Amino acid sequence: MTIHKPKQILLVDDDLLFLKLIEQVFKKSGFSCTRAGSAEAAIEMLEKGEAKPDIILSDYEMLKMNGFEFRSYLMHDQRFKDIPFVFLTFFSDKDFIEKGLDLQAIDYVIKDTPMNVIVSKVNNILYAVDKQRELSENEVKKAAKSLNIKSIPVKAPVINGFDVDFWHMAYHDIPGGDFIDFIKVNDRYNFIVLGDIMGKKWMAWFFTFGFLSYVRSAVRFAAFNNEYSTARIMQQVNAIICFDEVLQDILSSLSLLLIDTETNKITYSGAGDLPLLHYNREADELQMVSSSGLLLGLFEEGNYSEKEIVLKQGDRLFVFTDGMIDFIDATGKKSDYKQFSKTLKPFMEKDNNFTGIVSNLFNNNLNEQVDDRSIISIYKN
Amino acid sequence: MVKIHKELDDMLLVKLDIKEASLENGDAFKAEVITLFDKYQKSIAIDMSSVEYIDSSFLGSIVSAFKHLISFKSEVMLVGLSKDLTNLFGLTRLDKVFKIYNNFDDLTK
Repeated sequence: MTIHKPKQILLVDDDLLFLKLIEQVFKKSGFSCTRAGSAEAAIEMLEKGEAKPDIILSDYEMLKMNGFEFRSYLMHDQRFKDIPFVFLTFFSDKDFIEKGLDLQAIDYVIKDTPMNVIVSKVNNILYAVDKQRELSENEVKKAAKSLNIKSIPVKAPVINGFDVDFWHMAYHDIPGGDFIDFIKVNDRYNFIVLGDIMGKKWMAWFFTFGFLSYVRSAVRFAAFNNEYSTARIMQQVNAIICFDEVLQDILSSLSLLLIDTETNKITYSGAGDLPLLHYNREADELQMVSSSGLLLGLFEEGNYSEKEIVLKQGDRLFVFTDGMIDFIDATGKKSDYKQFSKTLKPFMEKDNNFTGIVSNLFNNNLNEQVDDRSIISIYKN
Repeated sequence: MVKIHKELDDMLLVKLDIKEASLENGDAFKAEVITLFDKYQKSIAIDMSSVEYIDSSFLGSIVSAFKHLISFKSEVMLVGLSKDLTNLFGLTRLDKVFKIYNNFDDLTK
């Protein structure tokens, strides 16, 4: 599901009449426009996040800070230097163009060019930039695929007495910081892992493997020693991560669950994760299951505790990352756990399976995505 | 995006003037806080009352700035969290990590 948002353009010119005129033309062509009457005002808008343009079209000749100085300023800021920048000018001499292109301005437009030609030029630049980005992402995706590394499993495990399902959607279809793993120790013990590295896209995705390897090793070592304590495993994973120089400054939430098919008990420990939701069929209630542990990588002492959860027949347990509770409404982005729980509740009817629940959620709550989204469901059959 | 509000003997009061705190401004925020700390060498209290939404990347940046400051025996304190942010900090136990105050007056009392 791809949502095409209108492209944002930041128009900068101290000729306010021209600014209004060009804004109208871009608006008519489907752009979302932000106007700034000076380079200083434009910088303030960018700094405050009031303008998040896909492209900047700026006049050259302005009082105080001119177009070149504006461009130089942006070039020195990591946040803004990659935003395509086009100069608007009455000048067309060779020196100007050379100076402008030195500053890696993608293009320049002579001000008396017909408006529709300016719009086409901007559209062409945006198309080329998008295409280039897509190509680079495809290259990385291909490389990741050939290495056969996955932070999300292909299918859910089969566990005696339980139906386990999961659903994951990457933000903007790029692998991100969410990771899921199912570790079957033997017929009796199964571990379920859901984590979220703080950060987005490739950077976060890259670190998921470090975290996953540590979690897998800690689980295996515990199993070798016949120690089935999620809190103890969590503590060990955290201790290793706190010592790992590569993972320094990288934090992750983690929900670790152990299903014991002999006793039908589930043990849970959490690290800075969102509380789980337990649908209790008898009471017809969604109950929060909270844990005490802090994010992995924060402190050597993470205060991990263990909770025992008993699912009765028809009960369901949801484990999910914060992308599930994020949404956008008319006033902006929101995170609302209670709202998510409220939206989920009506879909807990008896014959509703996990696929049904997820598609219901999609139709009701999960409109525009803000982050990676992952949810695991454990149903007692 | 981090503006100095007041310098006290033992801490610096600053204001964060963004509405959406996310991946896009997280790194810059962290860099600004650390630059301020390097210059003033004291704990930093951040007024976040203008922030309406925060994502996990930005939370990561705050925590990471906090870790940097505690390694120098100073800390980051948070002020004026909205209801949504207070809930999120509570749900993820970050309220156990940071000292959180309603406003600068409560903090300096």
